[in-house]
Amino acid sequence: MDFKLIQKLVALMERGKLAELEVEDKESGLKVRLKSESSVQPQPHAAPVVHMLHGGAPAMAHSPAAPAQGGGEPAKPAREGKTINSPMVGTFYRSASPEAEPFVRSGTRIAPDQTLCIIEAMKVMNEIKAEISGEILETLVENGEPVEFGQPLFLVKTD
Amino acid sequence: MFRRVLIANRGEIAQRVIRACRELGIETVAVYSTADADALYLREADETICIGPPPGKGSYLSIPSIIAAAEVADVEAIHPGYGFLSENDHFAEVCRACKIHFIGPEPETIALLGDKVAARELAKKADVPVVPGSDGPVEDEARALAVAAKIGYPIMIKAAAGGGGRGMRIARNEPSLVTGFHAARAEAQNAFGDGTVYLEKLVENPRHVEVQILADKHGTVLHLGERDCSIQRRHQKLIEESPSAALTPQLRKEICEAAVRVARAANYHNAGTVEFLLSRTGEFYFIEVNCRIQVEHPVTELVTGIDLVQQQLRIAAGEPLKLKQSDIEFRGHAIECRINAEDPEKDFQPSPGRIDLIVPPGGPGVRLDSHAYSGYRIPPNYDSMIGKLLVHRQDRPTAIRTMLRALDEFVIQGPKTTIPVHRQVLSHSDFRAGDHDTGFVERYLSPHPRIAQGKDG
Repeated sequence: MDFKLIQKLVALMERGKLAELEVEDKESGLKVRLKSESSVQPQPHAAPVVHMLHGGAPAMAHSPAAPAQGGGEPAKPAREGKTINSPMVGTFYRSASPEAEPFVRSGTRIAPDQTLCIIEAMKVMNEIKAEISGEILETLVENGEPVEFGQPLFLVKTD
Repeated sequence: MFRRVLIANRGEIAQRVIRACRELGIETVAVYSTADADALYLREADETICIGPPPGKGSYLSIPSIIAAAEVADVEAIHPGYGFLSENDHFAEVCRACKIHFIGPEPETIALLGDKVAARELAKKADVPVVPGSDGPVEDEARALAVAAKIGYPIMIKAAAGGGGRGMRIARNEPSLVTGFHAARAEAQNAFGDGTVYLEKLVENPRHVEVQILADKHGTVLHLGERDCSIQRRHQKLIEESPSAALTPQLRKEICEAAVRVARAANYHNAGTVEFLLSRTGEFYFIEVNCRIQVEHPVTELVTGIDLVQQQLRIAAGEPLKLKQSDIEFRGHAIECRINAEDPEKDFQPSPGRIDLIVPPGGPGVRLDSHAYSGYRIPPNYDSMIGKLLVHRQDRPTAIRTMLRALDEFVIQGPKTTIPVHRQVLSHSDFRAGDHDTGFVERYLSPHPRIAQGKDG
């Protein structure tokens, strides 16, 4: 699986403290070039896995709702707005079925009882509601990607 | 052997399993709650997944969250550690349905042995002595009084689904039996959702002796000797040792063989522990089977040289045990002290918070299993164990001296700990003489010994 391979490469980079890595698979014709965000930051971050954010930063162990800062997810810091975080571990889906339109996209107006996405856990499709109203600024997770508890899913401009 | 294993636990046992996996070349997936996000052992895992908020209900006890994490991380097996879901037959069943190996016995075995009344029947069939009692649930007060009259006072009232001392009462006469019967039922109903209780004769001042079992899926059942866990406070073990000072070679042979018979009768596989009460006069009685790795397993690892967690992984993967009973040799004496963040001066109340400085002891014969480090915050949500300090020496007096030396070296600044209690116990003449029982802590170390006893009676 391509995603798993990338995950492994990222872990390899972290361990070897590599800033950049290029891999080519001649069989599949797949070429991946990875550039570490942490190479920009002066402080090396010790998160073992990049695709998953810790739900609470060390200093905020008692406020699980607070999103982690600087865990390696690009494009997230320095944006205005509120994040909607995953209430569970599972697989993230933007739409009800592979053919269907995404529930929301950037610019969609949302109401508290509106379904934003589906998280599949133990073969159960859990509809995740907005619980706030506002406007979706960005979807922070790719379709079909695994998410962990507390991981930011959407960036929202609240009313 | 498995390629990738998820550890459905936290703290020192999560670290212990990660260590075993790494030595076997197995990839590890550690799950954690937001309260454990800063735990150092997470860095030793190949992958980490946050599964929920601090309360266990939403994280370490949440079957959907753990199974979802196992599916996302694509593991072949789950190690449940101890506590949390380790003896939950439903969880083991869900794992099986999801085609994930549960590292422990079959769900049917867990369910059978988890029902104390059924477990007792099984022991009797296996020709293993049990404490005289009601032989099944006691439904009403009249029946309780009749049973008590037959087996004689003092009587212990126990919850069928119980554990950790909850739903348990001692009665020394008829009036206290009546009040205790109703209290235990109500407590059991609240704590376990099952108010079923049974009666047993109370064995006074017993020792707690348990036998470590290893059983594979191919019919081999071995015992790895006993552990004496008589130093307890309110049914929570504080100090464990092996061998037990109370067993003669003949008695040891009998109790270990009895444990093997129980494991065989239960069709048990993986690591397990058969617990017994040992009376002052040398009779032993089956209490229960713990279907998990236990906190005190390193005691047995030290005297046998066998890595129990690695054996658990091998057995779960279907490997046959490469050992025979005659291969298992017992060397020297091992003692474990549980170092908890508790304030002995304030009735052992939990003392969570930041460990400002921790300097572990070392030197010959010392082992420390701990996930703590300087700057670590002990979350208030879980048990208060900071670590397990163990020593292994050629004989018991030497082991006691080494332990006292190691306790003196052990620096923990910040929380209050049980270290001073261990010093007191290890220095006590009764303990040194090996003449102690499960009442030792209440008798000698409780600030109000009479009140503590009065609560029981």
